[in-house]
Amino acid sequence: MDRSDVSDRPGPVRRIRDIWIYRELLENLVRKELKVKYKNSALGFVWSLLNPMLYLAVFYVVFTVFLKSSIPSFPIFLLAGLLPYNLFSAGLGGGTSSIVGNVGLVGKVWFPREILPLASIGAAMVHFALQLLVLAAALVVFWFEPSWSYLPLLIPAMIVLLVLVASLAIALSAINVYARDTQHLLELVLLAWFWMTPIVYPYAQVSTTSIGNLALLNPLTPIVITFQRALWGNPIVGIATGKGGSKPLHALPDASQWWYLRNLGIVAAVSVGLVFFAFWIFGRLEDDFAENI
Amino acid sequence: MAATSGAARHEYGDASGLAPAATAAAAVQPPSIEADHISASYHVKIDNDNLRDDLRRLFRRADSGGRLIPALRDVSFDVQKGSVLAVIGRNGAGKSTLCRVILGTLPPDEGRVVVRGRMNMLAPGLGFSEALTGRENITLGGLANGLSPARLAEITEEIGEFSQLSSYLDLPMRSYSSGMRMRLSSSIAVFLDPEILLIDEALTGGDAAFTEHIAERTAQLTGEGRTIVIVSHGLQSVKSMATEVLWLHQGRVAEFGDPDDVVAKYMRYCRIESLNLSDV
Repeated sequence: MDRSDVSDRPGPVRRIRDIWIYRELLENLVRKELKVKYKNSALGFVWSLLNPMLYLAVFYVVFTVFLKSSIPSFPIFLLAGLLPYNLFSAGLGGGTSSIVGNVGLVGKVWFPREILPLASIGAAMVHFALQLLVLAAALVVFWFEPSWSYLPLLIPAMIVLLVLVASLAIALSAINVYARDTQHLLELVLLAWFWMTPIVYPYAQVSTTSIGNLALLNPLTPIVITFQRALWGNPIVGIATGKGGSKPLHALPDASQWWYLRNLGIVAAVSVGLVFFAFWIFGRLEDDFAENI
Repeated sequence: MAATSGAARHEYGDASGLAPAATAAAAVQPPSIEADHISASYHVKIDNDNLRDDLRRLFRRADSGGRLIPALRDVSFDVQKGSVLAVIGRNGAGKSTLCRVILGTLPPDEGRVVVRGRMNMLAPGLGFSEALTGRENITLGGLANGLSPARLAEITEEIGEFSQLSSYLDLPMRSYSSGMRMRLSSSIAVFLDPEILLIDEALTGGDAAFTEHIAERTAQLTGEGRTIVIVSHGLQSVKSMATEVLWLHQGRVAEFGDPDDVVAKYMRYCRIESLNLSDV
């Protein structure tokens, strides 16, 4: 590459520009990741379809049959929340170990190395797209009508989700080179994060508790409830009150599109801040990658 | 981390700072590589499972249970366009670190390096992924080196022929022998068509016939006015190929200049060293 002053440490804007210049490498790394993941496997991509279907089967049995939860159209509800979570979890998990897993490229050639965690996110997006097919099939099979007026919100929700996961993955991928505990810790954190996000239970179940006001502090929550609101709607469900009883409430906040958009906006602002933090810490740590992988 | 030197470096940020000197001597082309008082160090984590040190490492560079290796100190030199610079020195003299600084993967703590032109490094095992085929690895290595997909499509077959691996290109990398890997990575670097080619110990791998093959191609590149920086232990090839020699000793420039002169001094030094060793 033609770069005159190689002793310069680039700032965030230059870094983003460099990533853009190397976008073909990014695309190729995404393809490589998908290929390596399913090499020598007979079912290949079918596995990324089986994942949400298995979750669906298990949670359906546990929540609808055992726990007698009365969430209408449970498959749609679950998939609407599970898919964005899966994208988050796969992108962050893969991204965190991406620098450590690409010894061959790091240090032997100059390229914007943030591309490696971003490639993991790209691969997660491909799985996400496939899983959307499962969701689309479910919508058709159950002849279920999404909330058309909330559907456009999926675009900002998706963008916010990607910026959030990208910033976290870039930061953690660099930290993981020096502290390998990160990738192990992350598995536990992601498990906790899954249950702390209203994916298998409705948001109203959290918001009606004493700590309900804190629910939106989880940056995944505004994203997940937007997906649910747009794809599943907002029916009245029985929310358990604790004394064995339950009262009928809206499953999600009975609010306008603007309320959902505002919450996404707050997460977006935080995520953009995180992006700068991520580039800062990545730039600080990347010099010694080659010696420490 | 030397924050103050970091700030100083950014003052030089754009290469236009050099322009006045360059325009004053308009007839003279600016050097391909200019290293101006560079000092570089890198940090190696001593294997531990100590979370406290890990956390320290994230926020303070020194004092983190690892070791800060000062690899280069106050190194300055220019490489003119079309010349061949050989870097010699004993193990641990800082040769590979110098390569990394020129490549841009290790920004120096102090000083500045300016590189003019497309640069590639010929390094064994560049970015190879075992699961991918030779062809896919060529694509990956080429893109990482900043090549366009269109150009890559053109040169992939040529690389196969040059490396004598045409019939193996569609086999996964894990089926390659180490000599085949070496041949492929060397060929990729040569075909990236760099204006500046960086070679690190590359001539020591691969079989004799192929080494010659590479040397030929390298000579061809120099003939075309390409600049070459080669880190080498083979003093004979240094003398025959290089137009200038940089001898690094413990991270500093011991000698820099005419190949015969510097190599002679280096050999004298090595003889004295080995005498000292045999005395013990």
